[in-house]
Amino acid sequence: MTGLMRVLLLLAASGGFPPALWDSFSKEDLPPEAFLDEGPGLWERLGYSETVRNNLARLAATGWPEREEERAARAGVRIVPFDSRDYPRSLAGTPSAPLLLYVRGKWPVAGPSVAVVGTRKCSSYGWRTAAEIGRAVAGAGGVVISGGAAGIDGAAHEGCLDGGGATTAVLGTGVDVVYPRGHEGLFGRIVREGGALVAEYPLGAPPRQWRFPERNRIIAGMADRLVVVEAPLKSGAMSTARHALEAGREVWAVPGRISEECCAGSNRLLFDGAQPLVSVEEFASVAFGRQLGLFPPGEERGKTPLLTEKEQRILAVLKKYGERTVDNLAVECTMSPADVFSCLALLAAAGHVFPSGPGRWSVVPR
Amino acid sequence: MNPVWGITLKGMEALRVEVEAEITGGLFAISIVGLPDTAVRESKERVRAALRSLGLSVRGRVAVNLAPADLPKEGAILDLPIALGIAGAMGSIPEVPRAIFLGELALDGRLRGVRGAVGAAILARDTGIPLFVPADNADEVSLVEGCEAWGAESLGDVIAFLRGEKKLIPVVPAVPEAKPPIADPDFADIRGQSGAKRALEIAAAGHHNILFTGAPGSGKTLLARALRGILPPLSRDEFLEAALVRSTLGIPFDRGMHPPFRTVHHTASIVSICGGGATLRPGEVSLAHRGVLFLDEFPEFRRDLLEALRQPLEDGRITVSRASGSVVYPCRVLLVAACNPCPCGWDGDPVERCTCSATERERYRRKISGPILDRIDLHLAVPRLLPEELVAVESEGGEPSAAIAARVRKAREIQRERWAGTGFTCNAELPERLVKRSLSLSPDVRPFLASMAERLRLSGRGISRVLKVSRTIADLAGSRDVEVPHVAEALAYRDGGEKR
Repeated sequence: MTGLMRVLLLLAASGGFPPALWDSFSKEDLPPEAFLDEGPGLWERLGYSETVRNNLARLAATGWPEREEERAARAGVRIVPFDSRDYPRSLAGTPSAPLLLYVRGKWPVAGPSVAVVGTRKCSSYGWRTAAEIGRAVAGAGGVVISGGAAGIDGAAHEGCLDGGGATTAVLGTGVDVVYPRGHEGLFGRIVREGGALVAEYPLGAPPRQWRFPERNRIIAGMADRLVVVEAPLKSGAMSTARHALEAGREVWAVPGRISEECCAGSNRLLFDGAQPLVSVEEFASVAFGRQLGLFPPGEERGKTPLLTEKEQRILAVLKKYGERTVDNLAVECTMSPADVFSCLALLAAAGHVFPSGPGRWSVVPR
Repeated sequence: MNPVWGITLKGMEALRVEVEAEITGGLFAISIVGLPDTAVRESKERVRAALRSLGLSVRGRVAVNLAPADLPKEGAILDLPIALGIAGAMGSIPEVPRAIFLGELALDGRLRGVRGAVGAAILARDTGIPLFVPADNADEVSLVEGCEAWGAESLGDVIAFLRGEKKLIPVVPAVPEAKPPIADPDFADIRGQSGAKRALEIAAAGHHNILFTGAPGSGKTLLARALRGILPPLSRDEFLEAALVRSTLGIPFDRGMHPPFRTVHHTASIVSICGGGATLRPGEVSLAHRGVLFLDEFPEFRRDLLEALRQPLEDGRITVSRASGSVVYPCRVLLVAACNPCPCGWDGDPVERCTCSATERERYRRKISGPILDRIDLHLAVPRLLPEELVAVESEGGEPSAAIAARVRKAREIQRERWAGTGFTCNAELPERLVKRSLSLSPDVRPFLASMAERLRLSGRGISRVLKVSRTIADLAGSRDVEVPHVAEALAYRDGGEKR
């Protein structure tokens, strides 16, 4: 193990903010070995807090970096330090870039990247929109980066995977921790299908409130573009957007209803000059600088037979009036509920409509 | 001296019990041996008083033996045979004929109705032995064809009959009444919800389990109650099966051939729902046999209880085992379950905001295990209709329950005809191995289903579930073959609680 790696691992587990600790050390212009050789005296001079100093001393004395490296090797986790060739270039240039990344899965995940973030408590419309964005990005050969959380994050990852793409989840825990618990399947799929789980925290790091905002700077730093789907004013997604702006990334936001709390933040971004995402397909073609196929790969939409007259009637009503119940559709399309169900099932399977609430249906946002 | 026969119950089954009595000199005492329970032991007071009311005073030491000696005897059902046994031993009546007697005695000699009369009638029919029952039980006994039975008002009547002084009224096999079902509420009174109504029609026609998901106040409970009004009437055999369970618990007999409808609260214990107790009584799931078991607030039920229901729902029968033995009860029920989309109930609502965290929502959903959801054929999300939506649908007068019930009845007749001789009566009962072979699918269905299965990631069980529902939809439409639109509609009920 190199001296640098040992220092980086120690700092990652020190309980302080590693990039700041590293900054003050690198100003001294000492070789990495000096960090341990000079020990507590140096740390005090650098202004490290007492907790950090105690932690460092304890970890160094017990050979923690070696053990951590061994654990990572056993778990199939790669540790990518900032001086590695595989450290994302876009991330390296950002303020407070992480010193190292723990990576589970294929690395590096190649391709132009789009970060899709938003609230965990999203509407079904937001969920579906995020999934469609993920799918469109995958279809254009891009990579979706998000935080692996419930709600919008999960939708974006899933949409990307369903579209046959690779996706990166930047976690606020250790890469071997599944949080939220319900995402065990999703995380497994991300790793299996050519993507990666990434974190700057040691293995086994449990979810802590302060880790998630820190993690957001990595999402913003790694991505070329950021899309905020639904975000309340005070939210992690808004902090990601701030980091993205600081890092000079293009920020897009999906317009939401002005009455909904979960859209207040994303709408505010639009007011402040973010790019409005008014069509998923247009976003993808603008973002990737080329015309998308009408039917993204991975979904055989091209092979779907043309819609029947009844299906078209239902689709037209949903497009015109928005969310509808089966009752309303039956009345407005003058069809029996049985026919409405039959058509909705076919439309849903073909990816035209989705159940947007209990007993309610909407067109898939495109 | 001839023995007198009575019965005791083991589950729903009546077992013949031989009652012998012997009177010897000495101080007055009655002792009953042969594993009597408390109710049997106490019968000596009722028997003595009843005999006395007829002017027969019991004197001396009376020993009553109930054989077989190792079979536990329970209930007041043995009062009448014990009284006849003692009367015989006193020489007050001539030789008792080969017959089974049952009845609880009042102190003045009247006969009270007992539980287990239907089981006794089946035993009497199978063994060809005549049966004497209290007049109160005559109605239910009349359901069992080919059983020679008499109804009696009192011990005096029975003794007079045995002495040849009086005639008893023979029980005539009777056809139960096929009254129209009670539509309360009527479907016409429920505004909107045409989707849920359609799903209920399918559930009633094919006896498919159904799960409603919807916000509080969306009308799930109302819809479930309305199901009662469209259920097809029971066949005679089904009615007898249902009556047998009810008789085992001593629930008063109702001549109307309505399928049972049992509502269970989520605080109910496993024993009350699945059956059990020291005497191995049937539970609610068996009382709902051939009818509806309605579980409102489905996820609030204890998880072990829902798991305990898994196998019975699949098999249509439930084995109740305790230290005292093991019995099997039937439980072919139509399970109607209702739940909220999340703990607060407002997830996905267009107006109200859901206040649940993702974890809470996840936990709520996990309360219902996959295997139990897998046994529910129809999943339906019930929207909470907003005032403006209600106004929009109001002009459309809903169909009355009677019209829907007529369609359902017709569809069920088609099914009875199709499955005649196989032991099933409806599509939902069809075992998985028979599904694909015997549903007469139109040639387009197979390729269509194959493409959908891939797209929707349907499991094998999921496919056969869809096919069974499709068959019922086709039956409702009067179609010989299952066509593509039928399958497409069935797919819509596949997973109402699909991910957001």
